[in-house]
Amino acid sequence: MRFERMKPFDIVIVGGGGAGLYAAMEAMKTNPSLNIAVLSKVYPNRSHTSAAQGGANAALGNKAKDDTVEMHIFDTIKGSDYLADQDAVDVLCSEAPKIIRELENMGTPWSRMDDNTIAQRPFGGAGRPRCCYCADKTGHTILQTLYEQCLKKGVIFFNEYFALNLSVKGSRSRGLVAINMKTGRLEAFPARTVIFATGGYAKMYWNRSSNAAGNTGDGQAIAYRAGIPMKDMEFVQFHPTGLRKSGLLVTEGARGEGGYLINKNGERFMARYAKEKMELGPRDLVSRSLETEILEGRGFDSPAGKYLHLDLTHLGADLIKSRLPQIREMCMQFEGVDPIEEPIPVRPTAHYSMGGIDTDNFTRTVMSGVYAAGECACVSVHGANRLGGNSLLDILVFGRIAGHTAAEEAGRFEPGNISEAELQLNSDEIRGSMHSSGHYERYGELREELGQTLALNVGIFREASLLKKGMQDIAELRERFKRVRVFDTSDVFNTNLLQVLELRNMLDLAETVAAGAFAREESRGSHTRVDFPVRDDAKWHKHTMATMVKGNVSLGEKPVTMGRYELQERTY
Amino acid sequence: MTVPIDQHIEQKQDVTFRIFRFNPQVDSKPYFDDYTIPVERGITVLRSLNYIKEHIDASISFRAFCQAGICGSCGMRINGLSQLACTTQVWEVLAKSREPGLIRVEPLRNLPLIKDLIVDMDPLVDKMKHYSNWIDSTMPESSMGKKEFLISEEEFLRYDKATDCILCASCVSECSILRANKEYVSPAVLLKSYRMNVDTRDALHGQRLAELVKDHGVWDCTHCYRCQETCVKSIPIMDAIHGIREDAIELRGLKDTSGSKHAEAFMSDIEKKGKLVEATLPIRTNGVFWTIQNLLPMAVKMIMKHRTPPPPPLVKPAKGIKVFRELFREMTEHVKQDHKSHKK
Ligand SMILES: Cc1cc2nc3c(=O)[nH]c(=O)nc-3n(C[C@H](O)[C@H](O)[C@H](O)COP(=O)(O)OP(=O)(O)OC[C@H]3O[C@@H](n4cnc5c(N)ncnc54)[C@H](O)[C@@H]3O)c2cc1C
Ligand code: SF4
Ligand code: SF4
Ligand code: FES
Repeated sequence: MRFERMKPFDIVIVGGGGAGLYAAMEAMKTNPSLNIAVLSKVYPNRSHTSAAQGGANAALGNKAKDDTVEMHIFDTIKGSDYLADQDAVDVLCSEAPKIIRELENMGTPWSRMDDNTIAQRPFGGAGRPRCCYCADKTGHTILQTLYEQCLKKGVIFFNEYFALNLSVKGSRSRGLVAINMKTGRLEAFPARTVIFATGGYAKMYWNRSSNAAGNTGDGQAIAYRAGIPMKDMEFVQFHPTGLRKSGLLVTEGARGEGGYLINKNGERFMARYAKEKMELGPRDLVSRSLETEILEGRGFDSPAGKYLHLDLTHLGADLIKSRLPQIREMCMQFEGVDPIEEPIPVRPTAHYSMGGIDTDNFTRTVMSGVYAAGECACVSVHGANRLGGNSLLDILVFGRIAGHTAAEEAGRFEPGNISEAELQLNSDEIRGSMHSSGHYERYGELREELGQTLALNVGIFREASLLKKGMQDIAELRERFKRVRVFDTSDVFNTNLLQVLELRNMLDLAETVAAGAFAREESRGSHTRVDFPVRDDAKWHKHTMATMVKGNVSLGEKPVTMGRYELQERTY
Repeated sequence: MTVPIDQHIEQKQDVTFRIFRFNPQVDSKPYFDDYTIPVERGITVLRSLNYIKEHIDASISFRAFCQAGICGSCGMRINGLSQLACTTQVWEVLAKSREPGLIRVEPLRNLPLIKDLIVDMDPLVDKMKHYSNWIDSTMPESSMGKKEFLISEEEFLRYDKATDCILCASCVSECSILRANKEYVSPAVLLKSYRMNVDTRDALHGQRLAELVKDHGVWDCTHCYRCQETCVKSIPIMDAIHGIREDAIELRGLKDTSGSKHAEAFMSDIEKKGKLVEATLPIRTNGVFWTIQNLLPMAVKMIMKHRTPPPPPLVKPAKGIKVFRELFREMTEHVKQDHKSHKK
């Protein structure tokens, strides 16, 4: 087999979502003479950034004139349950107004206020309405704008390239090895610097996740295997109302308009958990309530798992048609249920991964020349719980910083030489799982079992014995994975192979999530330990760091950077 | 309809998926494979394909990503219609299927085939580049991020719908001109071009338009409406196409005297439209109304712009193609006269 070898790049960006595209643009702006490539396993405009509906936070003060960057900072730190690094949050929030305007200047079609400025709306956990939006397609339009601008600037894209491994020599990266999906060939990308912008890992919960099929934490897993530490991996945010079959989100709007959550006894069970706010309690509380109902046997049963009802039928056809047309369409398209006529089957769904590749405020990882930004990185600005609208902001602000930093620093590093032998090794490994002898495990089963054990044992409610079980399951699955079979042996667009490679990434990361959750004996933000129900600042006000040692996870810690805000109890 | 309150009964039925197969490395020509699986209500075509791939044949290749109708990856032809596999309910397709219990799944047309249900999207991206489908901001890069452009709700609404496009290429697959001419700009690219053209932040308007009126551009469209009928996001693509044309005529009309040539092209469009409408009259009565209401007044406006006496009263929308033809003939006469007077 022959391998393609690219001429060396100054910067290779892995990922064409919001973070990757902003990085590319900024790098070109910083130094137009650099040779930059963006690799993406899907066409950039398909990236999961497009799924973000709600919006992006920035203290523009268009809607609430008294909004300030400082208030945004405080809301973010409090929302993070004080686990965010305060200097990083400063950067995030101070850059916000500028970056939202920059997007506006480049053509993002923001919705508008009466005075023709960018419209803003209230969002969970924010003291002021500062979420900038474009109808219910904010992420989509931001991604379009960035992609258009990258095409305009002539960014070099390698679309439908699947990043496989970092080529590492000692403590330095030589570049990247990737599969050209159209040909099935391995290609070497020697590079001075590599930026990971590969998005989140919440898809490891599979059909209990709102994420795209490809949000499998590839970049994190690649970095992790190369010895770069992962930070705060146990923090996974759940959204209360995912559709039963697909995990797709039914947005808060449905409850905002007066939808009821009902268990199999016909009760509006939120009365038990939030007497006053009922269905409109905070996201994590509502998620925990649904989960409790299911665990205590008051959920409905179905082959696709237990679930509850989100009932809109009492709202009437007129209101549903006029105010919730998108939600109705979605239920019909994805679940085959018309909410005018029947209740919607829902259950909590894994939504966002707070943890990721450990970076400093300039997006540098511990490996020189390797950077990370976006949902795949953990700076950390979200700490134990991300506020709605802060993630799009995160990918823009830190995507830009990554592009800038890499462009400034690329000159310091030499591109490595990725040898034929190394490519051959990568290739053999891949081809190996296509042989029938000793390979019989089915991808679908392993993935299904991974999702199940995570949802059951490393889900919303966590507890030592459950987590232990989860860790055991994951270890077994990783063992079984060694015997997984790639049944499709073709070269061109072998999606079976790619799925298997993604599964490997999820399995590697799942271990870090479960191990982190087991170690962290407290409840903080999205991480709820039934056996340790309170936040324990004395012991656990710190980041967990997961490093791969001899193929398995090894845990360490890192202090949280404090600043102007002292630890306080988080109440709303 | 009521659902049993404490238990969930799934109704199932056997469905045969007849899937287009082609692997360029081994197959000399495409063929179909049949897979029969039980499908319950509420399952989408994409989930069925996933099921088949996981349980029966791992080699079937198709694209899918968000599974939520927003990324545009999973465009394919399902029982002959280009649409998203992830938003299409199996039972609904079955209800309309001519062959009971059977669903045909094929790749999109008008883009090069790669494998099975996967087509090459690069030609579309190349066209987006060729027609500068981006905003070239009037704001210099150095002052970006300092202040907002003030945009009225009215302007926002002009391109709001067009920005719904997820580049799924379903419209591309159904476009009748593209079938004959692969170089044709494509409906999605026309839509995107229009979206850029009506944005006041953009500085490229004239240049983009100049490209759009060249060969393979906006004048090649036959008004067949297939793209708009297909669009998975229900975007009124034809409004964009007419928008560009109107724009082109106005711009040209001011600059050179060949405006009437464009008028002619435009008239022949209307005629084509008329023919098409005639051919498919039962299902497209709306088209006729639309044509008369929208195209004729526009043509009139055009003729007026070239300082010709207004045509005799031809307004009043009328039913049916006969009346349409009648009006059309009158119009043509006028354009011809107009032409002559120009030559003199
Ligand atoms: C349903 C939903 C709604 C949301 N709503 C909001 C919201 O309202 N506000 C908000 O702030 N946030 C929201 N979020 C979160 C936010 O959308 C994401 O965190 C953010 O878009 C992630 O952007 P990214 O650039 O980091 O990654 P992504 O957009 O996920 O991009 C990842 C890129 O990496 C590439 N990639 C991955 N692996 C590989 C590989 N192995 N090889 C090559 N390329 C690879 C992919 O092709 C892709 O281009 C939402 C998330 C979901 C799921
Ligand atoms: S109306 Fe024009 S662009 Fe649309 S499908 Fe017909 S020929 Fe193609
Ligand atoms: S215009 Fe509609 S059908 Fe065409 S690519 Fe865009 S969303 Fe798809
Ligand atoms: S998978 Fe994204 S649109 Fe269907």
